[in-house]
Amino acid sequence: MKQPLSHNMILRCVSALLILLSMTVTYAAQPKVLRVSIKAAERGFDPQRLTDLYSSDICWQIFDTVLDYDYLARPAKLIANIVKEVPVAEQGGRVYTFRFNPGIYYADDPVFKGKKRELVARDMEYMIRRLRDPALNAPYSWLVENKIVGLDEITEEAKKKGRMDYDTPIKGLELLDKYTLRITLKSPDYNFLYAFAIPQTAPVAREVIEAYADDTMAHPVGTGPFKLVEWVRKSKIVLERNPDYRGSKLDTTYVDMNNEWDREVIQSIAGKTLPLLDRVEIYPIEEEQPRYLAFLNKETDVLDTLYQAYAPQVLQNGVLAPNLKKQGIRVFEEVQPEILYDEFNMEDPVVGGYDEQHVALRRAIVMGHNRNQETQAIFKNLAVVAQSPIPPGVVGYDPAFNAAEQEYNPAKAKALLDMYGYVDRDGDGYREQPDGSPLTISYLNRTGLQYTNQAELWTKSMKGIGIRFENRQVQFTDMLQDEQAGKFMFAVSAWIADYPDAQNFLQLLYGPNTGSANRSRFKLPAYDKLYEQALMLPDGPERNKLYREMCRLALAYAPWRLGIHRAFLHLVHPWVHGFDRHPINHVKYMYIDIDVDAQQAALKN
Amino acid sequence: MNISSFILRRLAQMLPTLLGVMVLIFILFNWVGGDPAYILAGKISDPKMIASIRKQLGVDQSYLVQFWIFVKQVFTFDFGRSWSTNELVSNILKTRLGPTLTLMIPCVIIETVIAVICAVLVAYSRGSLIDRVVMVSSTVIMSISFLVYIIAFQWLFGYQLQWFPVQGWTGSVWRNLLIYAPLPVMLSVFVSMAPSLRLYRSFILDEMCNDYVRTARAKGLSEHTVMLKHVLRNAAIPIVTNVAAALPTTLVGLFLLEFFFSIPGLGREMVVAVSNSDFPIVKAVTVYLAVLTMVVNLLVDVMYRWLDPRVSFK
Repeated sequence: MKQPLSHNMILRCVSALLILLSMTVTYAAQPKVLRVSIKAAERGFDPQRLTDLYSSDICWQIFDTVLDYDYLARPAKLIANIVKEVPVAEQGGRVYTFRFNPGIYYADDPVFKGKKRELVARDMEYMIRRLRDPALNAPYSWLVENKIVGLDEITEEAKKKGRMDYDTPIKGLELLDKYTLRITLKSPDYNFLYAFAIPQTAPVAREVIEAYADDTMAHPVGTGPFKLVEWVRKSKIVLERNPDYRGSKLDTTYVDMNNEWDREVIQSIAGKTLPLLDRVEIYPIEEEQPRYLAFLNKETDVLDTLYQAYAPQVLQNGVLAPNLKKQGIRVFEEVQPEILYDEFNMEDPVVGGYDEQHVALRRAIVMGHNRNQETQAIFKNLAVVAQSPIPPGVVGYDPAFNAAEQEYNPAKAKALLDMYGYVDRDGDGYREQPDGSPLTISYLNRTGLQYTNQAELWTKSMKGIGIRFENRQVQFTDMLQDEQAGKFMFAVSAWIADYPDAQNFLQLLYGPNTGSANRSRFKLPAYDKLYEQALMLPDGPERNKLYREMCRLALAYAPWRLGIHRAFLHLVHPWVHGFDRHPINHVKYMYIDIDVDAQQAALKN
Repeated sequence: MNISSFILRRLAQMLPTLLGVMVLIFILFNWVGGDPAYILAGKISDPKMIASIRKQLGVDQSYLVQFWIFVKQVFTFDFGRSWSTNELVSNILKTRLGPTLTLMIPCVIIETVIAVICAVLVAYSRGSLIDRVVMVSSTVIMSISFLVYIIAFQWLFGYQLQWFPVQGWTGSVWRNLLIYAPLPVMLSVFVSMAPSLRLYRSFILDEMCNDYVRTARAKGLSEHTVMLKHVLRNAAIPIVTNVAAALPTTLVGLFLLEFFFSIPGLGREMVVAVSNSDFPIVKAVTVYLAVLTMVVNLLVDVMYRWLDPRVSFK
């Protein structure tokens, strides 16, 4: 028998319909999608196997590093990320204790068989062992190599056995409990903690690595704010908000309200639970023109790092071009924590050596070249002339430090060469060595237009002081090979900060690093002594004084011709909020927000 | 000789050619290819680490052993994994071939059809203003670098007119064909059509000067029949030869297009592999390209018989 609908039932049906409708409206809301391009194809997303910048930047979104950098603090400031606090240096910088926060979970993955997998201290211990696994040849193994008590012995044993031991306890890696790892170092190192704020040291779950052993690069499972959902290699990488992410809020302690970008960040994302984006689409576009045009066409929302060649189209007399300004595009300009320089091979019989004659030759070469001209012609004035090996934005940088020894002064360069017997004996317009043998500076350089232009400037300026200059342009890999083998006289070089401390740059001239980081093969006991003393000290005036003394020695002996610190331009469409490019972290999508309505309206126009 | 014997003989001849290609690739890569260990080692490396990576990659072994491994890879179709990304080379070939063919097939078909039609028209009106304008335009188009066209077309059609996206690719073939491929295809057709048109015009003119054309006209056949049934049929052999010979060049030309338009094809993969000294990918792509060229040449030779029954297999 049919029952008439009761009043109550009708009310229930209407309520259910309304709920359904509201849900439909919610689901119909446009997701927040950020579209960005990267300048080179990614290689994969296994943190410990990362070599390239762009894969590292993507891993930074998927994995949590143990420590992190404050989004707003400049210079960069180390903060705790998945640990309770930044470990304090114990026993004079030899011991660090990491106390992990409970309740940090990996993104769901079939390997976990439906169970939630918590990140624990053992994951960090596993990651450190993995960095030193000979089978992996981890490119960033140097971060922990020859540092942790007992770790190198396990590596040596693994080389003999052909298999890394991941289970035998290591004295320097003590698991105090589920959430606590104590690391004991062989010698004090106050910069050790920086090693744990880069994606290469992000903890990973052992079972994930073992399950996907054949292709770990394609199976990133992290605890970060995003997870990989689609990967068309070298074409498209799609990240989506990780539903298992714990969520976080912006720390506004170090905000600089005089900075317009900081103000915008505060207005748009302060107090909100991060991440704000639902999806990030990343497109590798190697060529600069399509990258730039795709941004102008609104096919991408952010143009991260624009080549200097396009600077005149973006900035006119230092101001944003009117056509871009009219569209509401903003430009973010930052000097990179990096240095571009040229290095002498200190073991080369012609330009190397520590005696007065050879020092004079190197200093004359340095003074004979005009860095300002290089900045204008090649870098379109988007660069700062370096005054020391330490770039701005890193701890130990001294803005008052001046490299008078490297100032352009061809007259002084000529006088110095004359004084030490580098004169033109045969009247061909070029100088010979004091013993009468020919003097030709061979410049090891890599292929590419920028490098060709740089070499041309060098040839011209050296001709100006009577030195014959020969450009030897080779492929990048050949250049690395020759540099490491010491088969060069003078070479182009560059270093980008791994962490924001001067030590990361000054290690490049530390004697015992010859054959690895120290490619100029500079070995000066006085410098090495200062470097070792600095390692024993925490950040402070005493250590900065040592850094300055090391820079002075480097300028006096001139193993390098200091170049420039590049400034990068980043373009942002008006519907993108929260952008404040970090010198070390680069772009963290977690802090970015999108005004979807404005984005969609712009796309329709 | 019948067709089966001809094909078998040609297939047998491919083996020494393939071996020659392999020797050449091997020598070139080991001579000028750069040592991949230095890239894989990262920013700070030492001789021990370099040696360890070289051992892992197998590049520390003697050249003879390395070449033997190469031979085995070619005949087992297993080139292992990419040195820089660890992806299976077979997967790379499988996934990157589609985008390349999505570009290449329309390029070859459209270019050939337009070039042949235009060549017939200008050859027929030889010496006229149209003929001269087309010939001069072709020469001008040919004398400008392909890169300049890429930059100009992207700027004009992608940015200024916004007819097509500047870059991009999806998993849908139709979407790619309708949205992302038209601009690079148009670019490729525009550039490659000029030399083809000039060449096809000369083939057709050669045929038009033959006695059989005069005879056909004397018999009262219409110009339409003379041109399409007699001239074009006889000019087809050199045209087909040219299309087949141009296939590897078209692929190389696509390398640049794939790179500039961010199309995940074999060409782009190859460019990245060369810059990373990723030998497994370089080996696989080069060897398969060589095989493809040989197979296409064989098919063309077989087609000669179909186009001209006077041709015999020897």
